[in-house]
This record gives sequence, C-alpha cells and structure tokens, in this order.
Amino acid sequence: MALPRPLRRTNSITFVLAGLLTIGFLIFIFSPSPNASGLSTAKRKLTNAASHPLSPPTAPFVKQDTSLEAVNKPPPVVHYHLNNVTTTADPIGNQETVLILTPLARFYQEYWNNLLALSYPHHLIALGFIIPKTKEGNAATISLQAAIASTQTGPEAKRFASIIIMRQDFDPPLQSQDEAERHKKENQKARRAAMSRARNSLLFTTIGPSTSWVLWLDADIIETPPTLIQDLASHDKPVIVPNCLQRFTNDQGKADTRPYDYNSWQDSQQAQDMAANMAPDDIILEGYNDMATYRTLMAMTADKSDNRDINAVIALDGVGGTALLVKAEVHRDGAMFPPFAFYHLMETEGFAKMARRLGWGCWGLPNYFVYHYNE
Amino acid sequence: MNRHNAYINGHKGFSSRESGNLSISPHRFRPQSQPALRRRRQLLVRLGIAATCSFLLIFLIFPSFRTPFMTALSLGLLAPAVEGPELPLETVRYYDLSNSDGTARGWEREERVLMCAPLRDAETHLPMFFGHLHNFTYPHHLIDLAFLVSDSKDNTLNLLNELLTELQNDPDPKQPYGEISVIEKDFGQKVNQDVESRHGFAAQASRRKLMAQARNWLLSAALRPTHSWVYWRDVDVETAPFTILEDLMRHNKDVIVPNVWRPLPDWLGGEQPYDLNSWQESETALALADTLDEDAVIVEGYAEYATWRPHLAYLRDPYGDPDMEMEIDGVGGVSILAKANVFRAGVHFPAFSFEKHAETEGFGKMAKRMGFSVVGLPHYTVWHLYEPSVDDIRHMEEMEQERRNRENEEKERAERMKKIKEEFNDPGSEWEKDKNVIDGISQQEEQIRKEHDAAMADKEAKDQEPGDKSSKESTETGSKDTKDTKEPADAKSGDSKASKDAKDTKDTKSAEAEDAEDTKESSNAKDTKEVKKDEKVSKDAKDAKEDTTPKSSKDGKDTKDAKEVKDDTVSKNTKSTKENKEDVDTKDAKDTKKTADGKEGKDKKDVKDKVA
Repeated sequence: MALPRPLRRTNSITFVLAGLLTIGFLIFIFSPSPNASGLSTAKRKLTNAASHPLSPPTAPFVKQDTSLEAVNKPPPVVHYHLNNVTTTADPIGNQETVLILTPLARFYQEYWNNLLALSYPHHLIALGFIIPKTKEGNAATISLQAAIASTQTGPEAKRFASIIIMRQDFDPPLQSQDEAERHKKENQKARRAAMSRARNSLLFTTIGPSTSWVLWLDADIIETPPTLIQDLASHDKPVIVPNCLQRFTNDQGKADTRPYDYNSWQDSQQAQDMAANMAPDDIILEGYNDMATYRTLMAMTADKSDNRDINAVIALDGVGGTALLVKAEVHRDGAMFPPFAFYHLMETEGFAKMARRLGWGCWGLPNYFVYHYNE
Repeated sequence: MNRHNAYINGHKGFSSRESGNLSISPHRFRPQSQPALRRRRQLLVRLGIAATCSFLLIFLIFPSFRTPFMTALSLGLLAPAVEGPELPLETVRYYDLSNSDGTARGWEREERVLMCAPLRDAETHLPMFFGHLHNFTYPHHLIDLAFLVSDSKDNTLNLLNELLTELQNDPDPKQPYGEISVIEKDFGQKVNQDVESRHGFAAQASRRKLMAQARNWLLSAALRPTHSWVYWRDVDVETAPFTILEDLMRHNKDVIVPNVWRPLPDWLGGEQPYDLNSWQESETALALADTLDEDAVIVEGYAEYATWRPHLAYLRDPYGDPDMEMEIDGVGGVSILAKANVFRAGVHFPAFSFEKHAETEGFGKMAKRMGFSVVGLPHYTVWHLYEPSVDDIRHMEEMEQERRNRENEEKERAERMKKIKEEFNDPGSEWEKDKNVIDGISQQEEQIRKEHDAAMADKEAKDQEPGDKSSKESTETGSKDTKDTKEPADAKSGDSKASKDAKDTKDTKSAEAEDAEDTKESSNAKDTKEVKKDEKVSKDAKDAKEDTTPKSSKDGKDTKDAKEVKDDTVSKNTKSTKENKEDVDTKDAKDTKKTADGKEGKDKKDVKDKVA
C-alpha cells in the first residue's frame, strides 16, 4: 500500500524530469569514450572481415542472418591483391598480418599466456592449430577452446583477428611408450613424416591470400620475448629461426639453460658424404651416435652472457621448427615440409633445403632465445 | 467457493449474515486494487513513451548516436563504451579435416571442390570458359572458383569480374558458384616473351618454373580446410564433358587426368594429341635423369631429351572404354582432378627441379613419391582449343607460304591460260569477224563488183587494218604478261624456264607473222607446227611448276589436276585451231591482200571461191 501513494501524486513535472534524466543517462551511456580505440579497432575489424562464411580463414567473417534469404545468397566475387601483400622489416608500420601456426598435441596454459603477451597488434595476428584426433588431442582441444573463448570475449585489444582449429585427418603413427622404441631411427622417420603432413595440412589450408608472415611456434614454447615477431621480422630474412633453449635446474640446484633444438645447423662435408652414399629414402638424423654428422649446431653456439649481441645472424642449411618465422611468399612458392626424404632430409630440415632450392636463404639468430617447456 | 455453496444450500446462504459479508469481501477489495494496478501500468506506459521520445529526440538531434544504439540494441544489453561494442563477427573456426576427404560419390556427400584456373592474357578464352561453367553438372554451390590473373596486358581482369558477377547474380538459383576468389599477382616476365626464346628448349625450364610458381600461389591462397577435391582446369579447353568432375571423381583416385587432344584444321590432319606431359616413366628417362645436373628439367617434346616414355595422349582409342585407367608418373595440367588431401600433404607444383622435373610433371612425380595414386584415362578425352603454338605458327607459316606459292602459281597458270586462249581463241573470233565482214563484202562485191572494183579494194583495206592491229597488240600484251609473271614467281629454277617459254612464245608469234606472208598451203602446215610448239611450251610450264612445288603431295596432286585441265584446254585449243584453219587461210589471204595491192582482184576472187 506504500508504493502506489507517491505515484498517485505524479504530475507532469515528474515526467519531464524523468525524461530529462533518461536523456542524460543515454547521452552518458552512448557518448564516445575518450580514447575511442575500441570503436576504431572494431570498425577496422569490420572492414577487414569477410562478408560471407566462405572466405579465407585468416580473417573473421560477419555472422550471417539465419533467415533463408540470406543463406541462399551466393557469395560475392572477392578480389585479392597479392601484389600489395608486403613482407618488410617494419611489419607493424605496414600493417602486415602474421599467421601463427602451431601443431598442438598438448595444451600448456603458459604457451597461451606467452601468446597473449606478444606485443604485436593482435588484430593482425591469426592463429592456426592442428590437433590429432586422439584422446590426448581431444583434451587439448577442449582446453584450447576454453582459453580461446575467454580471450575472444575479453578486452578488444587482446583478441586475435581469427583463430582456426583443425583436426588431423590421419592417425599419428603408433608410438610405443618405450623410450628406446620411440627414438629408433625408423620410427623417427614415420614420426617426422606425420609431423610434416600435419604442418603442411595446417599451412596450405590456412595461409590464405592476405598473410604476410608465417610464424611456426611449437605448443611447448612457453617463453619468448614479447616483441618476438617484430624482432625476427626486423632482419628481413625469408626464413629466420631464433635459438631454442630449455630452462632447467642444474646439479647445483641453480636455474640454468641448455640447448634444445638441434635441427638448426650449418652443413658439414661429412654429412654430405654420408648423404651421397645413402639409399634414396634414407634420412640423416641429428643426435645419434652412430650417425656423426659434424654439423655446426646453432644451439651449441649460443652466447648466454648478458651483454650478448642478440642481433647476430648466421646462415643456416637446416632449420628447426620450434619457433620459425617465414615470409609467406616462401611457402607460396611451394616450400613445404617434406614428409619424404628430400635430399635425405625431412620436415623442417627438408623445408630449409627446399626453400634454398627455390632460391630463398635460411638464417638463424644464435643469441636470440626462446624457451621450451621442461616436463 | 463459499458463495457457490450458499447457492446450492439455499437456507445456509440466508441464515447467517456474517458469513455472507465474508463471502462478498473479495468484491469489496477488487475495485480498490484495480485502479492501483492500472495506475502503475499507466505509469510504465508513460515512462516507455517518454523513453522512446527521448530516444527519438536523441536520434533527431545527434545522428551519430544511431549506430551505437543499434549495435547495443542488437546485442540486447548496453555494453560499456570503454570495452567497445560487440561485433557480429565470427573469429573462431573449427574444422575436422576427416570430413573433407574425397570419396567416389562426392556430390552425394556434398563435398566441396576447389576449381583453380591460372590466367594470363586470356581475354579471348573467357567467354568459352564461362560457357563451360554454366554447364557443369556438379552442384555449383559446392564448387569454389579461384582465378589467378598474372601479368595480363589485355582486359582479362575486367572481363573476368564482369562475367563472374553475372554468374553469381544469375536468376537461376542453380547457377551461382560458391566462394569466388580472384587473385591478382604479377610475377614479372623473367623470360623473354619473343617467339624463339619462349619455345626454345633452353627457355622451357625457367618458363615451367614460373608457371609452377603461379599455380602454387593460386593454390595456397585459395585452398580451404573444407575442400575435398581440387580441380585444375585451363581456360582454353574447347570441349569437355559437362559431367567431367563426376566422371573423374568416380575413379576415386588421388590424382587423375583425362587424355587431352585438340582438333586441328583438316589440312593438319583433323586431330592431334595435345598434352604430352602425361606419361609413364621409362628406364631411358631415369637413366637420362641421372646424367643431368641438379637444376636441369626434362621437358617432353624436344629432341634433346629422347625419353621413350609411353605417353597417355598417344594411347587414345576413340572407341576405347572411357573408364580405362593407366598408371602414370608425370601429369599434364590441362585438367587435373586431385583430392585436396594430396595438396594438404604438401604435394605442389615444384618451381625447382624436382627429380629433374618441374610444374605439373614434377607434381605427378612428387605425388607418386608420397605414395599417392596418379592415374590417366587414355580413352576419356578433353579437347583443347586449337591455338597455334609457336611450332604450329612456324608450321602454319610454312603452310601459308606454300599456299601463297600455290596461289601465285595458279595466278600464273591462269595468266598462261588466258594468254593461250588469247593466242588461239581471240584471233579465232577476230577471224570470225573478219569472215563476216568478208561475207558482207563479198555479197556487196557480187552486186557491184564490176562497177566499183577499185573503190571496194580501198574499203577492204580500211576494214582490215584495225583488226590486224588489235590482234598484234593482244599477242604483245600476252608476252608482256608472261614477262611480268616471271618476276613474282619465287622458284628460281622455274624462272629461267618461264623466260625461255616466253621467248618461245615470242618466237612462235614472229613465226606467225612470217607465216602470214606465206601462201595458204604452206601456212596450214606451219600452223599445225605452231600448235605443237605451244603444247611444248605448256609442258615446260608444267615442269617449272613442279619444280616450285615439290613440298607436299597434295600440291603435287593439285598441279596434276591443273595439268589435266591445261591439257584439256590445250587440246581444245588445238581443235579450235584446226577448225579455224580455213579461217586462218582467209586471214592469210587478207594479209596477202594487204601486202600485195596489185593482185587484189585475183585474190578476192579466190577468197570468194573458197568462202562459197
């Protein structure tokens, strides 16, 4: 009975005041925010977005009306000017898009956090994942999707332009849990062939017409400088790879680092002689005692001192795939990860060889570190 | 409830008044509560009206508020402006690649096909290509089209855009295709484009590598995780079955190509194998490959690399089973259907020397290397447009040259024929005329012979003179013509003979003139000789022609035919000359009249006698 009483006393003045208040509230609510960055990013995203779901996966698309008319509307004719896709030493200045590709077997939150910490504008980054269809893969997919959901609904500046999750169409080669079995040379070959196929599947279905750079980043790379992309791109090399280390606690109980990725190397005469006497399908593997290659491994040449020159560049003959920045045109020319013995090399090492056959050089940064997860 | 009971049990309702009061108590409260509710509702309505009014006011005064309001409304909540409004964008895509494996009956499983067509200066072929697009029986909405327009100097891009827009806006809902990508990328002309260097053996390798690069760029830009098949199609395919996608798909092979032939003009044999890049590997070629250096590319169709490979194209039987398969190692690029997982696995068109091959042949080799099946259909044929390649142009130039030569010869022959006709027929008609004139004269003469003997003789002389001049002129022009024809005739061997012929004809003419002064009997004999001479002349001409056209058997036939025709005409001429012998006599007689004026009277008598 208390409520109706004041209402009964309402007069026109109340309504006028109410109206004014409403207007005031609305003005407050809809007035453009002082920085206006959110809105402009949104606008830019809208203009970059494809108008139809059938579009390159590196860009988002505008959600379709579910009405029948809209569904039946044929996709538009889209022109892509690949002449305007640049890969320069100043990728942010030229608004170059980066595609970060990750073959994922196990999801580490540290990996995702490191990804989010990258200072490269996230609206220029598209992510691509390929996950095997195994029990472990399913678990990884679920955690990945949870991480994506929180990121893509979070602050606008942290959202990535587009994220592609892909499930492999072939089974990974059966791996015995036995350590010795897994590291047998023959198994190693099948493992690397499957890995190559996964990488190629991911690469060729996602690269699209607008990607400038492709950054291969393994799922177990958990620590990189936040400026990783800019730093690698600033060298303006077709293929460039930083040095991959692993943090561990040494015998004295102190934090230390050790080399991890042995696939970045400069070739040796011994290795070439070895290759010359091999059957066409045999491959040279690094890190086996009965196969001493005497190659110069980049991981071993790292200068760990604090005042090291992080911009030191060396030419490489083989590259590792833990973190690898490639100009998109190298891949577009056809450089892929051979799932067969290509000059007795496979996967990323074979890729380096193929890139060089196509006229692109490979380079390494021995003193620029990224860190691998330590189990 | 109480009231109902009261009505049913009447006495109870009236007996106690208090119970009755209690029972009607809800009736007393209802009118009180109703206006309160109404007032509240009214208030809400008024508030709503005020709100909408204020919104409208805002919209009227500040149009800039309209867009944020609309986005806010579409999301159903007023998102704080600091975070930026939500966009209707989908940024996450999930694909299971095992859903896009190709199967034999893709159209039933709604498998998507990517159709790739690299274009360069292809304006002229586009309308034909779109004709094919309209006719494909595979569901159009499942086919994504991707074009690469590179280094085009003609109107390819605009025309392509126009045709594609038209296709997508087709009123027939079955016509529009799926995703359409037009990729513009110039690779620059690394290879000199002039005819010799383009088809020279040395330029082949770099040319093929450039084309491979274009194909790879196109594929990498257009391949999506949803694609089950990739179909490579050249725009200059002239004839292909509308069901080609289904036909090739049914074989369920990883890489499959039809046989590619091309129709030819009849003078080139009607049809010809076109695509020699589909072949089976041979021991010879493998041995050859081992001898070559790392960057060498084996190209089919050049004598430098004799590979002795079985080519798909040469195994075609027009009546063979179109479903017959053949294992091949190199593939041609005119029409390739491949499962998308072949490309996903990394097989591409090597823009470098891969096992001594590049582009589509290297593609076949690489697919084989990765364990995919590569198959050709020898009896299932797609017809490539007959577009003269440089070899063909060279060949056609030869043909054109031959044709021109033949034309020249025909012209020459025609002139010769004309000349021959002039030599034999024209005098004949003149003689005819003369005869008539003489007839008239003789009739007149009969009438007034005796009275105007001398006068008649003058008249005759006047009539004769212009006719004679004209006949002389005609022979002169004839000989001149033969001189003229000598110059354009290309064949050198023919030249001298022709000039000899011309001399001969001159000789015969001079002989004729001499003959004219001789008596009738001797001139008859000489005339027959002249005819023989002419026959010889024509034979010489024939020989000359044979010398100039030794290249093709057809030409030989033509000249034979021509000879026959000529022989006929010559023989006709000889006949006509025989028929005209008597006329010749009269002519001779006239000539003698001219030369010997004094004997006119006698001669005319003779003439008269003969005519009679």
